[in-house]
Amino acid sequence: MIAIFSSTSQMMRQVIYALALGIGASYYFFGWGIIAQIILAVATAIAVEALFLKIRKMPIAPAIGDGSAALTGILLAISVPSIAPWWVIVVGVAFAIIFGKQLYGGLGNNPFNPAMLGYAFLLISYPLQMTTWAGDFVNLSQALDVIFNLNVVDALSGATQLDEVKTQLALGKSISELSVHSTAQAYINAGFLLGGLYLLIRRIIFWHIPVAFLAGIVITAFFLSLNDVEYHLPTQNHLMLGGTMLGAFFIATDPVSACTTPKGRLIYGFLIGMLVVIIRTFGNYPDGIAFAVLLINIMVPLIDYYTQPKVFGK
Amino acid sequence: MLDAFNNGIVIENPYPVTQVEIIQAPLPDKVVLPLQQRIGEEAEPCVKVGDKVLTGQLIAQTPDKFCTPIHASISGTVVAIDQQIIPHKSGLKSTCITLESDGKDEWIENEGVGDFLHCSRETLLDYVQQSGIIGLGGAGFPTHSKLRCLQECQTLIINATECEPGISCDDAMMQHNAREVVRGIEVLLHITKATQVIIAIEDDKQEAYHELLMFNHNERILIQQIPTKYTSGAEKLLIKTVLNIEIPAEELAIDHGILCQNVSTAKAIFDAVVDNKPLVSRVVTVTGDAVTPNNFEVRLGASFEHIVALAKPNNQPHAVRMGGMMMGVDVASLAVPICKITNCIFVNNVKAKEVVQECIRCGQCNQVCPVGLLPQQLYWYAKSENTEKAMDYHLSSCIECRCCDVVCPSHLPLAEYFSFAKALYRQETQTQEKVDNARERFEYREYRLERNKTERAEMMARKKEELKQKMANDKAQKDKIAEAMARVKKKNDSDI
Ligand code: SF4
Ligand code: SF4
Repeated sequence: MIAIFSSTSQMMRQVIYALALGIGASYYFFGWGIIAQIILAVATAIAVEALFLKIRKMPIAPAIGDGSAALTGILLAISVPSIAPWWVIVVGVAFAIIFGKQLYGGLGNNPFNPAMLGYAFLLISYPLQMTTWAGDFVNLSQALDVIFNLNVVDALSGATQLDEVKTQLALGKSISELSVHSTAQAYINAGFLLGGLYLLIRRIIFWHIPVAFLAGIVITAFFLSLNDVEYHLPTQNHLMLGGTMLGAFFIATDPVSACTTPKGRLIYGFLIGMLVVIIRTFGNYPDGIAFAVLLINIMVPLIDYYTQPKVFGK
Repeated sequence: MLDAFNNGIVIENPYPVTQVEIIQAPLPDKVVLPLQQRIGEEAEPCVKVGDKVLTGQLIAQTPDKFCTPIHASISGTVVAIDQQIIPHKSGLKSTCITLESDGKDEWIENEGVGDFLHCSRETLLDYVQQSGIIGLGGAGFPTHSKLRCLQECQTLIINATECEPGISCDDAMMQHNAREVVRGIEVLLHITKATQVIIAIEDDKQEAYHELLMFNHNERILIQQIPTKYTSGAEKLLIKTVLNIEIPAEELAIDHGILCQNVSTAKAIFDAVVDNKPLVSRVVTVTGDAVTPNNFEVRLGASFEHIVALAKPNNQPHAVRMGGMMMGVDVASLAVPICKITNCIFVNNVKAKEVVQECIRCGQCNQVCPVGLLPQQLYWYAKSENTEKAMDYHLSSCIECRCCDVVCPSHLPLAEYFSFAKALYRQETQTQEKVDNARERFEYREYRLERNKTERAEMMARKKEELKQKMANDKAQKDKIAEAMARVKKKNDSDI
């Protein structure tokens, strides 16, 4: 059976609903910051998209109505630290919409995942703001304070587990000396996993990419840990820390920039998963998803061409 | 249960016919019979204006061995032999014989062939031709020539799947004429000397299935149920489903000793060979949300209007399609006549057009394509008129079934793009072979393509213009991007 969607906006809306659980978990552990970021991001995304469509003399309402700009904003908002200053998300979303999407001709024509392009841009430009995460639940007034008055409240901030592990390993500690565990991150990942399963059931995404993505992570992490258990993050931690589930179900599956053939999707997902672990282990950045996705985006046309399904009678 | 070919789509019949009876349409006052049949030469009239004719009388003979002659479908007077609009999107005209009814419906005495079991294959084939029988499933290929092509036939497949969701004329006919169908198949068996016959019937037609079972006493005839799924009626896909043989794109079913015939054609053969009646009427499904769906037995040449009126249309503006909702063609006027391939008339309320958006590469379309194509890639190349690339992605295999259109959340008219790109490719290469293969699969497409030529040339010119325009826009945009990039680069450089 197949699902027939009455419009692209209906599909985008389903994706946004599916994000709710993970966002809820984020809110539960880290507080109001994330909500403020999402509101900022969506407002920016829509404003920038509308502005650009106006410049390009294209109809504005249908493009805004399709929800894709809002979705890009939300994906970026939940990827940046929830206590990042307001201009970080605004600049990031604007970059994502302009350089990730509009300059290529709008929805459907962009070779890169816009949200991840924005993320990579922010990470390179503002590394400090991008790696300072809330350490604890932040209430509304605190959130508004750090986001808008730019008070970096030390008491609120911390590093992510992935970052922490990296620093500690660099200092010569071994995995067994660290306690690598984050309840908060595990729950948030579980939230995105459930949302992702919802998308699978509704047939908005197909299983190939998430499954291959996770397989790529598991297999690569497993071989690395075979090599040296003490210095590589165990496989289960790769799955539960950072943006793994968000990446598997919501980011790598962005249809526009992903492979479209079934076989191609398997290869695409697997390569991203593999790269994520490699970047996390050997790279200089805390989480590898954005760079992994962007790198493999480049290969999409090639993969698609060589993985065409068998045509009837050929 | 078999489910051998992948994909395709399951569409619930949106407007089911609730009444089982086939309604006998009243005799039309006038019928219009086109001389141009689906392929080949125009038939030559053998009557003059003013002549009296009887039902079933030969009124136009064909010069061409390939074609079938034309018979009067009512008794009355020949009132005109002139240009009339025929059922076609573009409102094309063609020479037609117009008969006015005398209201008596007097039939001509026809000798027939006697007991068909004592007839030779050639006699029967000639007789089938002389009775005006063509494939009634919508393809409209002359039956006698299809049967003649064949040297050795192992398997005869009777296509009792309805070719599209929404059509139920074959189903209704089988429920009422199962005996005639089985007898007709026996005539076919006698002609083809096939070793086995498989009647492939979709599993949503239980009544028809049981009727056939009841009347079938021939152990060489097997009745097989197949899943109800759109495009399983397409010849090669049907063969895949029933026999699990995948006919290569360049070959024909006949090359593999397989022959497909529509179930209504079998009934028409019975009428001709056993009942001595040429093909002068057919069952037509009239359906859509503007009418009460029903099946009507109508005389050929009656106007669409005549039969649509019987289906109680509402008063809103209608869009009328000949053929099903998927592959039908819009007709310009209700004055057009019912012809042998008119299996369905779709009458829908005119609706607001869906907003078309860009392809988001969601991949819903390649999940349903029955031939395993990647419609989003084809769309990309068709849009940019890169026919070479589109051919690389097997454009020629597209059967234009519109499954991809139906699921596309961006409402892109994909199949239209593909037929346009094919036409363009044909024009570019002047070699028709590849495209012909795809046409073979869904034969009645060819009918449309042929007649569409002029129209298409216009469309092509128009689209080319539009694309040029778009390309110019795109270029302007690209320049803009380059500018913006340069600016950013300059800014970055100066920042450093
Ligand atoms: S279904 Fe439509 S939007 Fe989706 S990939 Fe196919 S053509 Fe593109
Ligand atoms: S119209 Fe062509 S591309 Fe679309 S589903 Fe049918 S065969 Fe496939």
